[in-house]
Amino acid sequence: MADALSIKRSVPVRHASGIYWRALAAHIRSVIEYPADLWIMASAGAVWNVLQFAFLAVLFANIPNIEGWGFHEMLMLSGLLSVAGGANALCFDGAWNTGSMVIKGDIDYRITRPAPVILQVGSSHIGLQSFGELALGFAMLVYGWIGAGVGMAWIPVGALAIVSAALIQTALVTALCAVNFWIKSPMSIFAFLLIQLQGGAMKLPLGVFPAAVRIVSLFIVPVAFINVVPVAVLTGHMNAWWLVGTPVAAVAAVALAAGVYRLGLRAYDSAGH
Amino acid sequence: MTHAFAVDRALVVIAFKRRLAYKSGWIFGLALGGGSMLISMAMWQNLLGGGSLNGYDWSSMRAYTIIGFVAATMVFGAADFQIADRILDGHIAVDMTKPVDFQRARAAEYVGSMISTAPTAALGVLGAWLLFDPPGPVTPMAGLLTALCFVLLFPLAFGITYLSVLVCFWTKRYMGIMWLREALLSFFSGLMIPLAFMPGWLQAAAWALPFPHFTTTPAAIYLGRVDTAGALGLIAAEAAWVVGLWYAGRLVFRFAVRKVTVHGG
Repeated sequence: MADALSIKRSVPVRHASGIYWRALAAHIRSVIEYPADLWIMASAGAVWNVLQFAFLAVLFANIPNIEGWGFHEMLMLSGLLSVAGGANALCFDGAWNTGSMVIKGDIDYRITRPAPVILQVGSSHIGLQSFGELALGFAMLVYGWIGAGVGMAWIPVGALAIVSAALIQTALVTALCAVNFWIKSPMSIFAFLLIQLQGGAMKLPLGVFPAAVRIVSLFIVPVAFINVVPVAVLTGHMNAWWLVGTPVAAVAAVALAAGVYRLGLRAYDSAGH
Repeated sequence: MTHAFAVDRALVVIAFKRRLAYKSGWIFGLALGGGSMLISMAMWQNLLGGGSLNGYDWSSMRAYTIIGFVAATMVFGAADFQIADRILDGHIAVDMTKPVDFQRARAAEYVGSMISTAPTAALGVLGAWLLFDPPGPVTPMAGLLTALCFVLLFPLAFGITYLSVLVCFWTKRYMGIMWLREALLSFFSGLMIPLAFMPGWLQAAAWALPFPHFTTTPAAIYLGRVDTAGALGLIAAEAAWVVGLWYAGRLVFRFAVRKVTVHGG
């Protein structure tokens, strides 16, 4: 596979980016052909967020705060996490196909094309639930932002947090999907575990958990930088210096994903036909 | 044993063995369910401390969370995708030529796959018991009725899953349907937050659905929040949902199956 990898390195960034967006646009055109799927998936994403909102509303009707975090601050946590998940599903959902592509030998075709394999695989699918997740997630984030009294001056920080959150989420999921180059399973178990456990734990303040969970989520698998750290800084629960860690975690996570995928491609041996 | 029951039993056994063959699924289910249970425990321990909310103290909430874990492991670990795939990939055309009832055969397979979650559930409960030392059932009768409640979860889970899977006759994918169902089940069953925390109108909406029987009903019986008569009433309601969903599945299938198009080849 070394020859194929050397071809990828010579691909200009603009060309690779063009292919990525064209592949994504082609996929959007194809999903619109199936309106029932589109509406059901978008509704699933929206309903899940509505129920998250309902959960928090019910909980905070009974308690004043969790570890000093109020209703609107917790809404910001849920909202930012949904936006990150929605961005991942919209822009790079194809990474979930890595396992099945490895088993079926579909990676072969991608290797022979003049574009980075990771971009081709990432743009091979769109998670239709992302439309609901992004819309409702953003609504929760804005509602929480206003309710928590975070000023307009913090909007640039919020924008940085959203971009970083989308990058970290996408990169971590992609890196864990790339594990399937070695374990040979159609299902990306580790990525699925990450989003399930993250979906439960990272909607709560870190103070709820034992020190070990805090250390892991901050420094080992930096999921806390997706939503908890930025929201904690915006709402005054953490020192502003922590915000530096958000773009740093984004760069590190992207580098990790690219590295793991590259190593996976080196370990890839075609299924044969 | 009649021929039909022999077929049911064979399908249960095959589905059970098929699932047990993938032992990584046990570890995955344990990590997923166990992780969610620990997150829930951490949240409630923080919120309840030494006090109580809506009749739940830390002791009863430990039992409630473990009951939720068992129900979630059974329901979310079952083989719903296999039913959906038969519709989506057109395998159902072959199924309809077989001398077995489609719904009954899928029910047998689904129950077999649910039984295969027993090792995960047992190991998770054992671990949770050692870690959190939850209270036992309020009386031996409550324990017995809780077990009966869990037995009825097998056909109840199938009824809800089967009805939702039939939507695949109109769609190309199953994922969104599954997410919708699991989201509604998680919220209205009380898995995310006990129904007692909800306002009256939302509780009424939840009890108009079959979902509360997945967590709220067994937990209420186990913790003694209802007496024996109340428990029997809840179990009767659960059984009524089982019957109603079974016949609703038959009705929808009769209509949906007209969508099947067999392409020659």
